[in-house]
Amino acid sequence: MMQIAEQVLAASVVLATPILLAAIGGLVNRQGGIVNIALEAKMLAGAFVAVVVSSATGSWLVAVLAAAIVSAAIGYLFSLTITRARANMIIAGLGLNVLVAGFVGFIMNVGFDASGTLRMPDVELLPKLLPGSVAALPLVGEALADLDPLTVFAWLSVAALPFLLANTRLGLRLRAAGNAAHVARAVGLREKSLQDFGTAFAGFYSGLAGAHLALASIGLFNEGLTAGRGFIALAAFYFARNRPVGTALVCLFFGFLDATQIRLQTVGLPPQLIGTLPYAMVILGLCLTAWNLKRKAQA
Amino acid sequence: MAEATTEPAAGRSSLMPALERMAADILRFALPVLFAFFVGAVVLAFIGENPLDTYALMLSEGFGSSRRLAATLSAATPLLFTAVATAICFRSGVFNVGVDGAFVLGGLAAAAAGTLLPVAFGWSIAPLAMVAAMAVAGVWLYVPGLLLARLDVDEVVSTLMLNFIALGLSGFLVNTLLLSETSGNNTTDTIHAVAELSRLMPPSTLHSGFLIGLACVFAYWVWARWTPAGYEAKLVGLNQRFARAVGIAIPASIVLVMAISGIVAGLGGASHALGQVHKFSDGFSAGYGFTGMAVALLARNSAFGIVFGAVLFGALASAGTTIQLFSDVPLDIVNVIEGTVMIFAVMELGRLSLRRGRAS
Repeated sequence: MMQIAEQVLAASVVLATPILLAAIGGLVNRQGGIVNIALEAKMLAGAFVAVVVSSATGSWLVAVLAAAIVSAAIGYLFSLTITRARANMIIAGLGLNVLVAGFVGFIMNVGFDASGTLRMPDVELLPKLLPGSVAALPLVGEALADLDPLTVFAWLSVAALPFLLANTRLGLRLRAAGNAAHVARAVGLREKSLQDFGTAFAGFYSGLAGAHLALASIGLFNEGLTAGRGFIALAAFYFARNRPVGTALVCLFFGFLDATQIRLQTVGLPPQLIGTLPYAMVILGLCLTAWNLKRKAQA
Repeated sequence: MAEATTEPAAGRSSLMPALERMAADILRFALPVLFAFFVGAVVLAFIGENPLDTYALMLSEGFGSSRRLAATLSAATPLLFTAVATAICFRSGVFNVGVDGAFVLGGLAAAAAGTLLPVAFGWSIAPLAMVAAMAVAGVWLYVPGLLLARLDVDEVVSTLMLNFIALGLSGFLVNTLLLSETSGNNTTDTIHAVAELSRLMPPSTLHSGFLIGLACVFAYWVWARWTPAGYEAKLVGLNQRFARAVGIAIPASIVLVMAISGIVAGLGGASHALGQVHKFSDGFSAGYGFTGMAVALLARNSAFGIVFGAVLFGALASAGTTIQLFSDVPLDIVNVIEGTVMIFAVMELGRLSLRRGRAS
């Protein structure tokens, strides 16, 4: 029993990481006033770049950085269509998801003669940070032994974010751009540039998320690798109403659902239905919030 | 999502503005498409393919013969439904992105009815299956409509999430209750032969669902253009405050367009299940809801534009699969073009798009 708990905990942490990274990006983006529907696209691009670069350079670090930078660049261009060309952010985001999926598939097909799955030689996976001996610790041992740099980075980001958003100049300005664009403009802030920064930031973190998906354990790229995780990330920060720590806990819970899906199947809970829980939770959460608001307004 | 208000056409004859508007409509349709084909051409040139040759091949594969044309119209069929389902909401300013999920559940309901109803029901199975599909999908989108109208729950998020729930739910059902006993995982049985929609041009898969789709577009045109409810829905989309001031019940209008959207999407799913694939299996919708959205956006919600756009994307899809066979160009180019169209369709390209398109 203890052993199962230990395994589930370890798996939950690992599976939560990509969702958490993307959610961090998405929540900062949303604080800046942009709802990013295209986290999925940037994760996919990040995963693809990570595998290719890791294979070419043999360095996980270069691969992770390349993934983040490419995705940040995509995010920045995407942001320009919204802030400068006034494209509707939802449609442009859905369009970007289609475009990036097509583009990645295209490159894979033409450049690597692969369809669906891309296997590359000498892909370096993310290293484990702690020596294997920590696995002997009770309960958390396995989770600690599995710790990779991106997981640590994700949780450090969560710890730093409340401070960064509430106490730094950039954080405050970003939130001003999102919550009161006309005020931000009136006091001389360039709110569009701030929003572009926010979207590039979301791209950066989604790229990391994609890199984690590809390099944490499997070391290959697949067109279905992200499997809607960009939308689960969206669900996470919507459900936690943009609060970093709350979002992280929700992500951990989604990671837990992912980790236990197969086990729960044996007690009669179908995995397809468990997979819909994150989405159902968001709708329920939105309804409760709205209902509360309405009740307060009437009282 | 009202983009901008209509500019007054003061001091001009009544004919000129109409012509001008028509020209602007055509440009608004053509520009994003041209941009997308340009992006596609750059990508093709990058891999050393001659873009013009590729596009010429696509053109002949899309429209070159009656068989190819039938394949194009067959691929356009689901898009007619999903585009109408999207347009009906977008023109009311309701950002429904849940058409794909409604399409899937409609298909599931129709396939279930098509296999479970006794064969003795004969010809009545197909219409019954369609009614089942429309009921299920209509209720499916009625719920987020109600949540939006009563509680102001963001319809983008709710409908987006409902898509995934629809996928999970249908995936669950085709692996349990509706699982075929003969043909393996993730699929229902094949529907009764008597419930299949008739093929219009055998051996092509073009089926009478295409005609139902055209009828839907026509009904949408009539509804939008000639009925009070359609006009009210348009006013809600143009300016909610004005609509409220003239006494339109906005919540009722929102719920109505969402429910109709679901009904149309469900009928589309039924047409696809009964006419095209004859069963329901995982991966039932190849993103038809989202391609339909691209079509509706291009068409600026006009009925005529929807037919045009659906045929265009149908041609892209059907030609895309065959050029993959005849050249080194992968099918993914179609997604590149489709995604670019979606992005460019909502970008405000100069003054042209400052005016708002009218439905129908």
